[in-house]
Amino acid sequence: MKIRQLPGSNIKLILVEFLLPDMRFNFLKNKFLLLIIAILVVFFLNSYREGFYQKKIKNFFYSLSLPLQENFWRAGIKISDFFKTISDINNLKKQNEELKLKNQELLSKIADLENLKKENEILRNALGLGLEKEFNLVMVKVIGKDISRDVIEISKGLKDGISKDLPVITSQKVLIGRISEVYDNFSRIMLISDKNSSFSAKISGSEVSGAIKGKGNFNIFLDFVPKEEEILPDETVITSALGGTFPEGLLVGKIKEIKKSDIEPFQQAEISPFLNINELDQLFVIVNF
Amino acid sequence: MKNLILLLLFFYLLFIFQTSFLAHFPLKGYIINLLLIVTFLFNILEAPEKNKGIFAAGIVGFFWDIFSEKFIGYHILILVILALLIKTILVRYVRIKIFQRA
Repeated sequence: MKIRQLPGSNIKLILVEFLLPDMRFNFLKNKFLLLIIAILVVFFLNSYREGFYQKKIKNFFYSLSLPLQENFWRAGIKISDFFKTISDINNLKKQNEELKLKNQELLSKIADLENLKKENEILRNALGLGLEKEFNLVMVKVIGKDISRDVIEISKGLKDGISKDLPVITSQKVLIGRISEVYDNFSRIMLISDKNSSFSAKISGSEVSGAIKGKGNFNIFLDFVPKEEEILPDETVITSALGGTFPEGLLVGKIKEIKKSDIEPFQQAEISPFLNINELDQLFVIVNF
Repeated sequence: MKNLILLLLFFYLLFIFQTSFLAHFPLKGYIINLLLIVTFLFNILEAPEKNKGIFAAGIVGFFWDIFSEKFIGYHILILVILALLIKTILVRYVRIKIFQRA
């Protein structure tokens, strides 16, 4: 078995080549030597040029599996949609009526907003202000999800101008998460529901603000809302500019349940996120904001 | 060697299935970890003196490291230790014929 020689690693690779023919399934005979080699290889992969080869290996496997992963991801969306339709069929009539009512309500709101928009434009022109800068976006495709964390993988990386900590949204301006790791041809996004995710947010249309924290398994909650502030179920939560992690006004979710306690200085609220794993196909990375 | 390549291929495809397909089917927010289940079954159903289960654990650990943020070696170590633990328990404490047949 021939193995390519990597620069600066002669000894380790020669040992691997020497052991392989005799290993097969009786490798436990050489377990001590094997353990030392394994530790050396792991140490080398992690320490040499800050994990340079490790990143290359991961990038290689991702590039190799990209077409398969894309197809599996799409098939997953289609099949889960199919099952969802079957399970939702009983509620469709009720939902339809509710949506019709909501549609009428929204149409009247749109008319009001159109008037406000015109008014706003006139005022902006009068004050000499330019329109807000649009985001610079890079479109990406989702290819997989981490097994143990709320982290998803996308098909673009360093070569496409993506860097760490950039926000990721859907076409409806729903916040998905931020880039947590970048490789040459792919990246990982830490979803807002990941346990390590935390950012500032506020209630849409008011100045009540707090912090959104991930609970894992696609669940999030709003924390650090002062007790004296009133928050209500079904209110929409959006990102705030505080902290500078995300641009202001991106959609996060709706308040589901409010939790108040006499001993806690702050109140909490369970949030029903707009983020839905079955609707994540094409996303947008905000390159500058 | 042929068995090892087949194992590698099987777990590689299973990993892609887990990360890209099963991710769409959470049960009450939790996604079934098919790989962990298969690894455990591999080690439990195999004859305790055989080593394929440990190899399987190593391969699953390797792919888990590749498709996660952890460094290569992290999950390999955890799963191989778990596999060895299962083997030790089966050899020393379990005396059921079904486990010794395979």
